[in-house]
Amino acid sequence: MSVKPAITRRETWLIWWKPKYLAVKSLLLGRGMRPGLLSKIIVFILLVDIAFIYLYPILYMFSTMLMSTLDLVDPTIRWIPTSLYWDNLVKAYEGLKYWQGFGQSVMVSLIGCIAQAISCALAGYGFARYEFPGKNFLFVLVLLAFVIPPQTIVIPLFLLYRKFGWLDTNLPLFVPELLGLGLKGSLFIVIYRQFFAGLPTSLEEAARLDGASALGIFARVMLPLAKPAILVVSLFSFVWHWNDFYLPTMFVTSQSKWSLVRRLQVLQQSLDDIYDLNPYGLSTMTEPVNMAGAFLVIMPVLILYFVAQRWFTESIERTGLVE
Amino acid sequence: MKFKLSLATRRSLEGFAFITPWLIGFIVFMAYPLGFSLYMSFTEVQVTATKINFTFVGWDNYVYAFLSDNVFPVQLTSFIQESLITVPIIVIFSLLVGLLINQDVWGRGLFRAIFFLPVIFSTSEVINSLFNQGAGGGNFLQRFNIFGLMLNALPEQLYQPISTVLNRFTLVLWSSGVQILLILAALKTISGNVYEAAAIDGAGRWEVFWKITLPALTPFIVLITVYTIVDLSVSPFNPMLGSIRSHMFNVRTGMGYASALGWIYFLLILVSLVLVYTFGMRRTKRF
Repeated sequence: MSVKPAITRRETWLIWWKPKYLAVKSLLLGRGMRPGLLSKIIVFILLVDIAFIYLYPILYMFSTMLMSTLDLVDPTIRWIPTSLYWDNLVKAYEGLKYWQGFGQSVMVSLIGCIAQAISCALAGYGFARYEFPGKNFLFVLVLLAFVIPPQTIVIPLFLLYRKFGWLDTNLPLFVPELLGLGLKGSLFIVIYRQFFAGLPTSLEEAARLDGASALGIFARVMLPLAKPAILVVSLFSFVWHWNDFYLPTMFVTSQSKWSLVRRLQVLQQSLDDIYDLNPYGLSTMTEPVNMAGAFLVIMPVLILYFVAQRWFTESIERTGLVE
Repeated sequence: MKFKLSLATRRSLEGFAFITPWLIGFIVFMAYPLGFSLYMSFTEVQVTATKINFTFVGWDNYVYAFLSDNVFPVQLTSFIQESLITVPIIVIFSLLVGLLINQDVWGRGLFRAIFFLPVIFSTSEVINSLFNQGAGGGNFLQRFNIFGLMLNALPEQLYQPISTVLNRFTLVLWSSGVQILLILAALKTISGNVYEAAAIDGAGRWEVFWKITLPALTPFIVLITVYTIVDLSVSPFNPMLGSIRSHMFNVRTGMGYASALGWIYFLLILVSLVLVYTFGMRRTKRF
């Protein structure tokens, strides 16, 4: 009978401490493809930093619009005003003629986005599910329409709309949208095309056997299935129309028809008219009012974004745009 | 006797019918204006109360743009210089953020929401007023006297565009919302099996990035580069927007000249897109 030999110190380390050492090491540094805690912390800190730079202008807007003139010139105050000062918001509200502009913005964005959601779906469906001569060429034209800068075609459009008598009406902002063009219309056609192309063909075959017409299949079978794509297109279209600036500036001239975004541009001037407030041309004094104006203009879509945030950020995955 | 079409013909007519509204729109609101502005760019346009006169002037407008106009060439070069700096920054930044968010990190959804937030402000006058009021992020750099250091270290021609871009650095980053989402979606298309196989073969994460992730992403990098160029060409900070508008109602130069500027600009965008696309796709095929 032999006595079990005593464990050497080295063996203790190997048996007892090494597994623990390895476990901690793999927790911190990761093993194989799995990232460790350390890299997670570094990634997190990096993202927080970038997010701060990202949000800086927005935070700046919030804090500045609530500052009184005294707070603004006080160098000890950077972010947090001594007291909440609502006067800027009131002035901006009056200067923008808020409800009139809001009505215009909502109308333009709503009509634009509904029109695009339908017309781009038609074109996208045609491109996805049918074969006809010249299809590829036409699709190249869709992509071309995406890259043509509006600056290049704005003058002939101006002359055209003048001939139609559409200047200073909202028609130039609606009619192209109804035909699947307008703001990033091509992008929406591509989104729909990708979406419809992913649905099984047996759907149409079954409906056709039941005697449905092409338009009937589209309206009663395909569109109800396309809800995710419709939602994504409408959301983006709404937001982009809300912010649209260049073409409305060219075609819609009378101030009562201006959307909020355009009113912001002349906010300074309209405030000068109302209050006669800027005799010295000091921009810091009116900065909070401008920030308040920017906030009022963007607030409706900001609320929309927070409500529908998941639809925005998961849009590209859901519609299968990337494949 | 009833006229009967073969099934295939009927199908393609149906398909064509779905495209027709778009095709009409394209002809009226895209093709016709595009052709007409090309025609106008070779004429001098005089607008009178009753009608518009076009006088053919050949290449005069184009010659004038490059040889006599003392604003346009300067604007064009500064636009090109800034784009050459801005586009790579946006592409690399969205790639970086996409890769970071794609990791298993706390608050993933929140970060995704934050990085997409600027899309809400896209091309808007709101951005303009935010950044005119000094919220642009350039003051981060001013605090460390980066501009002073750069002025000493760089030649004037390089300093000018770089400092312009840095001054709007946050704005540049703000243009990458959609691109980040595209990268995130693209990362999802790479199958997990490939990574497992690489891990079994003993590849490190560094190697996996260069040999698997990046090659798989290349077509998407081309895609976001194209998207970025198109997006920049309509950004509110683009000097070309204003200059074309101002020439349009300028009596001396007029609409013909403005059209020529528009076409120079369009060709520039088109050529750069074609270059990016062909170069990018050639890189893709090699893998």
